[in-house]
Amino acid sequence: MTSLARPELRGFRTALRVSPSLRQGLPVTILLALAAGAGRIIAPLTVQHAIDAGLAPHTIGPAVAVGGAAVVVAGASSMVLNRRVQDRIEQALAGLRRAGLRRVHDMAASTADRLPSADLVTRLTSDVDQVTTFLQGGGIQFLTNGAQLVIATVIMCAYSWQLALPVLVIAALLLAAMAGMQKLIARRYHRARGDLARMQSAVAESVLGGPVIRSTGTGERTRAKLDEAVDQARDSLLRTLPPLHGNTSLGELAISTMTVAVLLGGVWWGRRTGLTAGEVVAMVFLVTFFVRPLQFLVQSLGEAQNALTGWRRALELVTTPSAVVRDGTPLPDGPVSVSVAGVSARYGDGPLVLHDVSVHLEAGEHVAIVGRTGSGKSTFAKLLTRRLEPASGTIQLSGVPLEQLDDRSLAGRVVIVPQDPFLFDGSIVANVRLGRPSATDDEVLDILARLGLHDWFATLPEGLDTAVGLRGDRLSAGERQLVALARTALVDPDLVVFDEATSGIDPATDVAVQQALAALTRGRTTVSIAHRMITAETADRVLVFDDGRIAQSGPHGDLVGVPGPYAGLVKAWNRQFGGVT
Amino acid sequence: MPPETRRRSALAAQFAGARAHPGPALVATVTGLINGATMVVGASAIGWSTDHLVIPALGGKDVPAGAWWISAGLVLGISTVRWTTIFVRGIATGRVQYRAQAETRRAVVRRYLELDPGWHRHRSPGQLLAHAVSDVDALWSPMQFAYFAVGMVFMLLLALAELFRRDLLLGLVGLALIAGVLTLNVIYQRLLAPRARAAQAARGQVGAVAHESIEGGPVVRSLGLTDSEDARFAPAVDRLRVADMRMASVSSTFDPLLELLPTVAVLVVLAAGAPRVQAGALTVGDLVGVVYLLITISIPLNVISRFLSMLPMSGAGRERVHAVLENPDVVRFGARRLRHVRPLRVEVRAAGVTRQDRRILDDASLTLAAGTVTVVVGAVGAGKTTLLDLAGGQAHPTDGVVLFDGVDVRELARGAVPENVAVVSQNPFLFAESIRDNLTLSRDYSEHQIWRALHAAAADDVVRGLPHGLDTVVGERGATLSGGQRQRICIARAVLREPRLLVLDDATSALDPRVERQVLEQLRGGPTVLITSNRPAAVEFADRVVLVRGGRIVADGTPAELAAVPEYERIVTAYDQSRAS
Repeated sequence: MTSLARPELRGFRTALRVSPSLRQGLPVTILLALAAGAGRIIAPLTVQHAIDAGLAPHTIGPAVAVGGAAVVVAGASSMVLNRRVQDRIEQALAGLRRAGLRRVHDMAASTADRLPSADLVTRLTSDVDQVTTFLQGGGIQFLTNGAQLVIATVIMCAYSWQLALPVLVIAALLLAAMAGMQKLIARRYHRARGDLARMQSAVAESVLGGPVIRSTGTGERTRAKLDEAVDQARDSLLRTLPPLHGNTSLGELAISTMTVAVLLGGVWWGRRTGLTAGEVVAMVFLVTFFVRPLQFLVQSLGEAQNALTGWRRALELVTTPSAVVRDGTPLPDGPVSVSVAGVSARYGDGPLVLHDVSVHLEAGEHVAIVGRTGSGKSTFAKLLTRRLEPASGTIQLSGVPLEQLDDRSLAGRVVIVPQDPFLFDGSIVANVRLGRPSATDDEVLDILARLGLHDWFATLPEGLDTAVGLRGDRLSAGERQLVALARTALVDPDLVVFDEATSGIDPATDVAVQQALAALTRGRTTVSIAHRMITAETADRVLVFDDGRIAQSGPHGDLVGVPGPYAGLVKAWNRQFGGVT
Repeated sequence: MPPETRRRSALAAQFAGARAHPGPALVATVTGLINGATMVVGASAIGWSTDHLVIPALGGKDVPAGAWWISAGLVLGISTVRWTTIFVRGIATGRVQYRAQAETRRAVVRRYLELDPGWHRHRSPGQLLAHAVSDVDALWSPMQFAYFAVGMVFMLLLALAELFRRDLLLGLVGLALIAGVLTLNVIYQRLLAPRARAAQAARGQVGAVAHESIEGGPVVRSLGLTDSEDARFAPAVDRLRVADMRMASVSSTFDPLLELLPTVAVLVVLAAGAPRVQAGALTVGDLVGVVYLLITISIPLNVISRFLSMLPMSGAGRERVHAVLENPDVVRFGARRLRHVRPLRVEVRAAGVTRQDRRILDDASLTLAAGTVTVVVGAVGAGKTTLLDLAGGQAHPTDGVVLFDGVDVRELARGAVPENVAVVSQNPFLFAESIRDNLTLSRDYSEHQIWRALHAAAADDVVRGLPHGLDTVVGERGATLSGGQRQRICIARAVLREPRLLVLDDATSALDPRVERQVLEQLRGGPTVLITSNRPAAVEFADRVVLVRGGRIVADGTPAELAAVPEYERIVTAYDQSRAS
C-alpha cells in the first residue's frame, strides 16, 4: 500500500495544531463530565441513606429530593456536554476535510500521482466519518463513563477500602483478560476485513467484467469464485464471534464474583468494622456501576482505535507538505520559451527513464515529439507541466526556473491535454467553460465551430447541454478528447502540451481538429506527442526520443531522408497507411 | 436456498431469515429467553440475600451458615447461567445473521449474471456493488439484536409480573418506567431517522465531490481550479457537518434522558416503598431487589429500541435487494444449438436498436459470409459498436433479426453464442488473476495452444517479458499492464477459444501499426472476422467494408468499391489527403 510520508504525529499535538477548536474550554468540559458521571451514581447513594435511616418517611423525603436535584443537574450537564463536544469535533472534522482536499491539489503532482485516488478519497470521507460514527455510536459517552468509573471507585474506597480491594483486584484481572481477548478480536476482525474486501473485489469484478463473462460463457466459473469469496468472508466473520461474546460473558462473570465478594465480605467484615447494611447494599449496586463503564470502555476501545486511525489518516493528508509556490516569480506575459538543461528523471525510486536531456524551444515554436512506447515522451511532457520534478538538471520557462514560478501565474497558461482527459459530471458546456467560467454560450459555440466540430456537435441529443455523465462516461473516448481540446482552446494557454490528445478520434475529424488547433495555437508554444505522422510533418521541429534521450532533432523534411530512428518510424507509419507517401 | 426476501416488512423478513436457519435460530431463541429470565431471578437473589444475610448479620443477629452458602450459590449459579447464555446466544445469532447475509449476497450477484445487458446499462457498477454489499448487510443487520431483543421482551414481562406480585404500586412504577422509556425511544427514533437519512445523503455528496475532484486533479492543477473546487466542496462539507450536528442534538438530549429515567424510577420506588416497608407490607430485601431490577432494566429497553431502530434501514435494503432478485428482465434463451465447425455465417436483417427513445441503429442489413473479414468504419458516435454487438450476438435488436447459420440468435440455447463467438471490446478487461487463468478461464488448453494464441495476438513477447511469465498475476482489471498489453492478452484469449466468429471492437487501437498488421495477418484464413477500425491497415485486409453514419449503414462493398464513396475516402485516407494539401 502506498502511504503518505508520516508527518511528526506526536499523539494529539498535531491534531490540536490543525484543529485549534478542540482545545477551547477543556476544563469546563471535564467539569461537565464529572457532574454527569456523579448524577448516574446518585441511585445507590440514596438507597444507602434510605436503608440506614430505617426507611423512615421523614428522612426519605429529603434524601429523594436531594437525589432528584442531582439527577436534574446530571441530566443537564450530560446534554450540554454531549452537544459541546460533538460540536467542537464536527467543526474540526469539517475543517479537516476541506484542508485535505486543498492539500490534494496543492501537494507535489508526483506525490498525488503515486497515491491511488481511492485512498485519498477515503481519507477525506470514510476515514473522517469513522470519528462521527464512533461518537454517535456511544463514543460520546467515553467521557461520562470515564467520570463514572472514577467516581464509583472513590465512593467504594470511601465506604471501605478493604471491600473495594477485592473489587479492584478482580477488575484488574478482568481488564487484563479483556485486553487479551480484545487483541484476539482485533486480529480476527482484521482478517475478516481483508476477506470482506476480497469479497467486494470479487463482486466488483463480476459486475465490471459482466460483458466478458457473458461473451465467454464463463458464468459458472465466476459463480464458483464468488461463492468461495462470500463463504470465506462469512466464515471469518463467524470466527470473530467467540472472543467477542466471550468478552461480554467475562464482564458478567466478573460482576457476579465481585457481588459475592462484596456481599459476603461486607457482612463478614462489616460486623467487625461497623459497616451498615445500607453501605453493603450500596456497594453491591456500585459494583454494577463500576463494571459497566469498564466493559464499555474496553469494548469500545476497538471502535475508538478505528476513529483515531481515521483521524490520523486524514491528518497525514493535511500535513503532507504543499508544493505550491505562493510568492514566486510570475511567468512573464506572452508566448513561453522552454529551456531544458541536463535533465534526468525517474518515477519514485525507479530507474532513470530520461537521461541528461537538453533542448531549447523558442517562444511560439511548434514541436512534435515522436518515439516508441517507453522512450520517455510522456515523461518529458510531465516535466514541462510540473507533473514530475526532475531528478537532476533545470527547466526554465521564459527564463524563470520552473520551481521558482508562482503557481497562480501558471494556471491556464501552461496546460497539458492528456490522452484520457477527465471530464466533470455535468454538461458539455460546463466542461468546456471550466478554465474560463466567464465565457458565454456563444463563445463556447464559437470555439467548437473554429475547431470544425459542427458535424459532431449536430449528433448530440441536447447540444451544449448534453450531460457527459460521471467522468464523461456517456461520451466515447474520442468525444471526451474533443471536449478537452475545446476546453483548452477556450483557455488559450501560452504553452500547451498535447499528449496523444487525439488518439481516439477518427481520422477525418482528427485531421480537421489538428488543422484547426494549428491555427488556434499560432504564436503559442506547442509540444505535441505524436501518434500519427501528420502531427510530425506539420510541426516546426521534430524531437525523436529513443531510450530516454533525444536521438534526433530537426524538421520532418531534414530527418526523413537520413538513416536513423525517425526514418524507421516513418516507414512503419507509411506501411500502416497503405504504402502511400 | 437463500432466505426469501419477498416479505412486506423488514420484521417479517427477519422471521423468514430465522426459518431458513432453524437450528441456530432455535438455540438463539431459547438461550435468549433463559438469559432474560436470569436478569429477573438475579435481582430477586440480591433481595433474598439482603433480607436473609445482610440485614440480620449487620443488625447483630446470628445468621445460619446456610444463608451464606445460599447467597453465594444463588448469585454465582444464576450468573453462570447468564454468562453461558450470553455466549451461546451471541454465537447462534451470528450464525443466523452471517449465513443469511452470505446466501442473499450470493443470490444477488448470481442474479446480476442472469440479468439482461439492457438492465445493466441503466445501472452503474457502484450501484450494483452497493446492492450486493451494503444493502444486503442492512437487510440482515437487525438480526444481530433480534434474539437478544426477544429475550429482553420476555424479561420485561417477567419483571412486570414480579413487581405486581410484590406490590401494586411497584408494578405501576415499573409499568410507567417501561412505557416512558419506550415512548421516549419511539420519539427518539422518529426524530433520528430522517436526520440519519439526511446525513447519509450529505455524506454521499461529500464523497461524490471529493472523488470527482481528486480524479480530476490534473485538470484542477492545470487550470488553477483549487479555489473553485474548495468553493464546491465547502457547502457539501458544511451540509454534512450541520446534518451530523442535527443528529447529535437529538441524541445529546435523549441519551441522558433515557439513561437517567431508571434512576428517577428508583427514587420514586424509595419514596413510595418506604412507608410500605415500615407498615410491614414489604421487606427491605424486596425493595432492594426491585431497585436492582430497575437499574438493570435500561439494558433490555436499549436493546429493544436498537433492534426496532434498525428495521427501517433494513426495510430499505430489503426493497432494493428484492428489486434485483425479482426482476424479470433476465436474458432468455432458446433451445437450438449450432452444429457446424466451419466459420460462422451471420445475417443481420433490417435490424434497429432504440434505447431510451433514441434511435441508435436503424434498418441495418448486413451479411458476413463464412470466413470473410469485414471492417466497419465510421465517425465517432456513428453506431459502430451497436452494430457489432448485434452481429456478434451480444445484444438483440429492438426490431429485425440476426441469424447465425440461418438460426435466429434469440432461439439459441444458453452457451451457444459463447461457444461460437469471441469478442474483444474497446475496453479490454482482465480478471485479477494470472495471465494463464485469464487466457484459459478454467478450460483445458495445452501449453502449445496457449503460446500459439499469444503469438497470433502478438502477445508472446509481452508475456515473456513479465516477471513470472504466464503465471504473473495482473492487478485489478489488469492494472499492472499497459492498455496495449491488455488488448493483446484479450485478443489472445479470444483467439485461444477458436471461435467461429471473432469480433474486434476497436480492439487494436492501442497497438502500434506494425503489431496491428501482424495480428490481422494472423487472423486471415481463420474464423469469420468483424472489426471496427478507421485505420487503413485494417481496411486493407478486409473482404468487405461497411460505412456507418448516424446509425445507418450508408455504404457496403469491397474496399475497391467503396473507394468511390467520398465519405469513406475522407475517413480512411484523411491523413494522406491532409499530407498532400
